[in-house]
Amino acid sequence: MARIELTGIQKKWGSVWGVRDVDLDIADEELVVFLGPSGCGKTTTMRMIAGLEDPSDGEIRMDGEAMNEVDARDRDVAMVFQGYALYPNMSIYENIRFPLRMRGVPKAEHDARVRQAAEMVELGDYLDRKPGALSGGQRQRAALARAIVRQPQVFLMDEPLSNLDAKLRQAMRVQIKHLQRQLKITTIYVTHDQIEAMTLADRIVIMEGGRVQQIGTPDEIYSDPANTFVAGFIGSPPMNLVRGRLDGGRFTAPGIDIAGIGIEGVRDIVLGVRPEDCHVSADGAHLSGQVFGVEPTGDMTYLTIRTDGVNIEVKADRDYRSELDVTETVAFDRDRLYFFDGETGQRIRQA
Amino acid sequence: MASQRGSRGESLLVRYLILTAWALFCLAPVLWFLSIGLRPRTEIVTPQPIYWPTFSLDAWHMIWSDWPMAAYLRNSVLAVIGSVLIDLVLAIPAAYSLARYTYRGREDIGFYILSTRMMAPAIVAIPIFFLFRNMGLLDTVWALMLIYAAINLSVVTWIIRSYMLDIPKELEDAARTDGASDMRILWEIIIPAILPGIITAGVIGAIFAINEFLFTLLIASTSRAYTMSVALANFTGGSDGVIYNAIALVAFLAFIPVFLVVVAIQKHLSRGLTMGAVKG
Repeated sequence: MARIELTGIQKKWGSVWGVRDVDLDIADEELVVFLGPSGCGKTTTMRMIAGLEDPSDGEIRMDGEAMNEVDARDRDVAMVFQGYALYPNMSIYENIRFPLRMRGVPKAEHDARVRQAAEMVELGDYLDRKPGALSGGQRQRAALARAIVRQPQVFLMDEPLSNLDAKLRQAMRVQIKHLQRQLKITTIYVTHDQIEAMTLADRIVIMEGGRVQQIGTPDEIYSDPANTFVAGFIGSPPMNLVRGRLDGGRFTAPGIDIAGIGIEGVRDIVLGVRPEDCHVSADGAHLSGQVFGVEPTGDMTYLTIRTDGVNIEVKADRDYRSELDVTETVAFDRDRLYFFDGETGQRIRQA
Repeated sequence: MASQRGSRGESLLVRYLILTAWALFCLAPVLWFLSIGLRPRTEIVTPQPIYWPTFSLDAWHMIWSDWPMAAYLRNSVLAVIGSVLIDLVLAIPAAYSLARYTYRGREDIGFYILSTRMMAPAIVAIPIFFLFRNMGLLDTVWALMLIYAAINLSVVTWIIRSYMLDIPKELEDAARTDGASDMRILWEIIIPAILPGIITAGVIGAIFAINEFLFTLLIASTSRAYTMSVALANFTGGSDGVIYNAIALVAFLAFIPVFLVVVAIQKHLSRGLTMGAVKG
């Protein structure tokens, strides 16, 4: 229904940068997640697409049409807010109907469309209630129904699940993805929760400090991070990042020694290795250190190894157990090692 | 368990006793007025203590027969209602602008509006008199409506603005992306959400207006525009001296409309309608 292009988008408040140099091309029917820590500019970018903020510079296009000068109410965009933003004085029915009234949809269609939208989010029985009489999950669904009722070109969702408990969040996540596929509406979803991002997204846009760090599918973001920020942000526990020295294809750091790396030169470098790519092993070990913590979780055991003040997280077997402060050796999966420039944090690929 | 309930009951009893005592203390002036108003004039001015007051409707008959009290009451009510309506019509958009739009000098304008309240009213009394005389509005209820509205507009605006500031910005953003214009947002979202605030502002404006004396005295000269507050002054002068029981009774009558209004809208004054709008 709509393709969104952002070109050179900037947002500056006085001397404070909110968003810098964002270029992004979102395909029709795509579900793109903006992911990043708070203050990274993801919500601001979304609000600029909604028309609630004006970009300081750059261009926003929808289906090729410039949107910068178009008022929020004239963009065919529906937004779901973090705090739901239901109109407290109106019943759920009137809340869902509000966009239809405002957009001049013929009155005769209202009832059928409101009921259909409410059915899609399983809220049909609550139409007479006021928002105050609903639970958090129901309010969230009412907000969703209000967004889908007029079948907009674009959905914008600003951390819609962050006020729900974990179980409800999972259920709503599935529901949102299902609705999006069913309605085939281009969707932008803002979150700081990497699980939400990984599970929902066709593509993830990782932001930090107002800049885009990487754009890619969840798989790409996870297995091919562009820099240390992305590497350290995604994954639970996140990727281990260890500062060390590279010399003649050999990486050394306290307790760590890896030879045969396909990167030339002598330089400071950061090694990245995911906890699941670390294996407790007596032979061929790359890492040797003291056991600092052992956390059984049932299906696996989190093992923390400490070497010279640096902690390395390892996902060990479910039946792994150990005393603390004994020496343990770990082998890394050689095909899954990542290297980053010691200064810029940018990825350096092996030859 | 039982002892717990016992102590709870006791503390509840104590609480009610304290509240009752406080209520009586607050009501004392009102009851005192009523008591003065319903006694003969001679009894009120006697220096001897009176243990068993005499009931008398002298003052009651006098204020209705010797004075056009109904007209005063009508003037008061009309002028107050009219002024509050004018205030709300002007203050709501003004408050919205002050609360939501950013423009040069917004804070200055806000302060300037409030500062009109800090000025001694006597300073503008003479110009106001000439203004209304030139407009031919002297001794009319219309003039009272306008002057009361002018006096209270700043306070009413300020109160409504503070309620508007409490409305989550998200609510307006939602309405805007839903396709609502600014006027629609104000009318359908903001005003219903701050109804308690609007009512509060209206009641405060009404109380100020019904008590207004200086400008009413200036503008009104006959029962066409005399209000309860000015009528009270009628009983202090003249050949009859100060007629205390009539004053007390008129003051009590002036208190009743405000009292009824407050009782009627009490529920709205304490209830926050924004409940359930956003998380929490």
